[in-house]
Amino acid sequence: MSVNLGLAQVSGDFLVAAIVIYSLAVIGFAGDFAFGRPRRAAAAGATVASGERAAQLATVGAAQGTALGASAGAAEASGVADGAQAVPAGAGTGGTGSGDAGSGDAGSGDAVLPARQVPALRAIWEAGPWVRAAVAFSALGILLHVVAVVTRGFAVHRAPWGNMYEFVTALTCVAAIFFCYVMVRYRAWALGVFVMGAVVVALGLAETVIYTAAGPLVPALQSYWLSIHVTAMTLATGIFFVAAVLGVMYLVTDRYRARVAAGKAQPGNGLLARIPSPAQLDKLTYRTVVFGFPVWTFGVIAGAIWADQAWGRYWGWDPVETWAFITWVLYACYLHARATAGWRGRRSHYIQLLGFASLTFNMLVVQVFITGMHSYAGVG
Amino acid sequence: MTDVHTPREQAAAEGEETVSFGIAGTDPDATPASTGTGPSAGWLRWGWRQLTSMRTALVLLFLLALGSVPGSVLPQQGSDPAAVQQYYASHPALAPWLNHLGLFNVFAAPWFAAIYLLLFTSLVGCVVPRTFKLAGSARTPPPRAPRNLGRLPHSASFPSSLAPGAAVDAAAAMLGGQRFRLRRPASGDSGHWVSAEKGYLREAGNLLFHLALLGVLVSIALGGLFGYKADKLLVEGQAFSDTMPALDEFHPGRLVSGSDLAPFSLTLDRFSASYLTSGDSRGQPSDFNASVTYSPSPGAPSRTYNIRINDPLSVDSAKVYLIGHGYAPVFRVTDSHGNVAYDEATPFIPANTGTFLSDGVVKASDASLGFMGVFVPTAVSVGGTLESAFPAPDFPAVSLIGYSGNLGMNSGIPQSVYQLNTAGMTKISGSPRLMLPGQTWTLPGGRGAITFVGVKQWVSLAITYDPGQVPALVCGMLALGGLLVSFLVRRRRVFVRAVPAASGSGSVVTVGGLARTDASGGFEEEFAELAAELAAQQKPEPNNQSEAGA
Repeated sequence: MSVNLGLAQVSGDFLVAAIVIYSLAVIGFAGDFAFGRPRRAAAAGATVASGERAAQLATVGAAQGTALGASAGAAEASGVADGAQAVPAGAGTGGTGSGDAGSGDAGSGDAVLPARQVPALRAIWEAGPWVRAAVAFSALGILLHVVAVVTRGFAVHRAPWGNMYEFVTALTCVAAIFFCYVMVRYRAWALGVFVMGAVVVALGLAETVIYTAAGPLVPALQSYWLSIHVTAMTLATGIFFVAAVLGVMYLVTDRYRARVAAGKAQPGNGLLARIPSPAQLDKLTYRTVVFGFPVWTFGVIAGAIWADQAWGRYWGWDPVETWAFITWVLYACYLHARATAGWRGRRSHYIQLLGFASLTFNMLVVQVFITGMHSYAGVG
Repeated sequence: MTDVHTPREQAAAEGEETVSFGIAGTDPDATPASTGTGPSAGWLRWGWRQLTSMRTALVLLFLLALGSVPGSVLPQQGSDPAAVQQYYASHPALAPWLNHLGLFNVFAAPWFAAIYLLLFTSLVGCVVPRTFKLAGSARTPPPRAPRNLGRLPHSASFPSSLAPGAAVDAAAAMLGGQRFRLRRPASGDSGHWVSAEKGYLREAGNLLFHLALLGVLVSIALGGLFGYKADKLLVEGQAFSDTMPALDEFHPGRLVSGSDLAPFSLTLDRFSASYLTSGDSRGQPSDFNASVTYSPSPGAPSRTYNIRINDPLSVDSAKVYLIGHGYAPVFRVTDSHGNVAYDEATPFIPANTGTFLSDGVVKASDASLGFMGVFVPTAVSVGGTLESAFPAPDFPAVSLIGYSGNLGMNSGIPQSVYQLNTAGMTKISGSPRLMLPGQTWTLPGGRGAITFVGVKQWVSLAITYDPGQVPALVCGMLALGGLLVSFLVRRRRVFVRAVPAASGSGSVVTVGGLARTDASGGFEEEFAELAAELAAQQKPEPNNQSEAGA
């Protein structure tokens, strides 16, 4: 089957449009940081109000419910200095009317995340004009991005991830969609500038450095396992990409809060004070990895089945296989570390980021520069 | 993969002693002195505890990842022996040291085996006791309800129109209906309460995941013991039977002998490759197809099959894969008397896998002639040098350098068929001789002649048998299933207590909830729904004051 060059051109145009729109979304998110109304103050007000309501209702332990009803910033309200361990004044009364979102962190931690009692659209509306614009641009960008990936697939009559350019294009699409879901669900607007920024950079590199013209595949890739194995790997990479950005955010905010607690930094209304608390980010990262890990595992198994069909062995320690294994082991380390004393918190995030580093190394260095059976990148 | 190596770290995080999940972990820091069974037994126990602790498992996992790195950076004996030779040549001082450390065969090295065997021992040391524990916990009821449910991570309270006993009965009925395991106060217990627990599958999934990993390891070992892998290079028209002497290379498992081979025979009828003829990736292959005729066992009727990449031939438990291809120019060499001394298709090895410029040698020892040659499928001249413009045989040509003299093939020293030892030979004429198909080069001095008859193609086939394959796949899928179950299922407890209302009639019901893991999240919603349902069930009057906890 020949390649439909016209359609490939359309795909390329849509991708460029997506990059432009994503850039506008990044500007929107950045604008929210710079000029958006300080949500922290608003959130504090909401918590006070809900505290009063809780007192009126004279119910027990309604803590999370009320704080959760507030906007994303509610968790911040317990104090920038130490959101995770703050013991609110009301907590002394045997749990009656105790609490705000911060108090849940110390225990099982199930209460950390702001809830979604406010519908998503209204929450976006309430987050201010900058966030509104940024979310709209993100949605439009994702739409264009999806069209770019799909038209590329139709242009080459196969799953559109047969070389590195297509792979990066597809995985950033997954990352953007998955992140926007996480952002809206947890009202984590402040993360937008980081994740969408990373997506724009990755797409820009894909477009300039590793662009590969549409073409048919070498025989080794002509298998329906391409759709299964590479799709799973693309999905998992996109998910881990989001987890990595969250992990970096965790380390930055955790350090910032530690410095504030130590009196070395001012608890201002700056950029760092606005992103979710370390406890929230920690949880979000964990859930993201928990989502990505089985997908990665499945991708590795599917790859093994394909390798057996194409090369006569299901596992041969090919460099790319080896690094997929190393990545898997490192993420397994992360999951175990979170259940090991002395390894929670920062250390577990370092492991997680190490896992993502090995994933990236595999994608950008091993597949391109180290000769092996997976040398399909088509770069250079 | 969650915490097989559970232990007390988790319990410590649980906060409430009364509601810890009762999986008593091993204490890695307990000193051997604390055991009373003599010093050596004490140290053994201490060592075992250290090994099976989560921290050790974590370190071993790290080592596993770290140990794999050289296996991908350095050439490996198993996958690319030629690259190892090359490495020896370019790093003569360093290579022997790396070899001593097993770094050219990492995944078969004793130290690598030590890491994963220790890891799996650690895993077994944790999984087995926990399996018993899980089996035991399926028979023991959930713990008593703690006194103050308001202190649990999730709690809610609402007034009920029912008396305390009836309110708890109603709640228990509802929880039981949702397949919670229940515990009610025993005869000696005071108060009205019910404890409910759900999600035992979580631990089961976790254990299944880890046991399945063990299964994968066993499956790999099975393949290593009873499987084999062989290579065979076959020119169009040639046949071979799957016996040890007929194979070019044979890598048997430790418990495999030559008689275990599948007794099939196979003929390569034709090989065709097609390439892209236009565009940026001109010359990129688009299809390979090896048509073969095979017979599963001697005397059995023969069948035909097209072996393609991603589409191997399955014959009698073995599989035959197409793993390489190349060109085999056919040469006829006659000696000085005009007798045919050599008439064969001669496989040339691709030196450039893009253009299929290939190298090879012709050894006509009966005529005391040898030739070193370069074959190009589509000949072009680039600045006077012979090059190939395209991988398909559109305009094939060979360039030969002739040698005469003793080839040394009867010296007893084994020789590669792809190399010509010119030590005892003299070179014929000056410049290399370019030949097209059908052309004959009559050698000077009446030494004979060589004819480039035509071109055939060869394929290299891999024949593999791996009895561990299916078990490995099954274990892999089980591991994935266990992983999903352990991530998706939440182990959680719900407690309900009721006390008489201060106003006299009805009662005040308190609900407390605790989820052990935060992997999948969402317990707050489940708890809120549950509490709301309970409240609605016992709603006292229209003006409802219930407030769910989340």
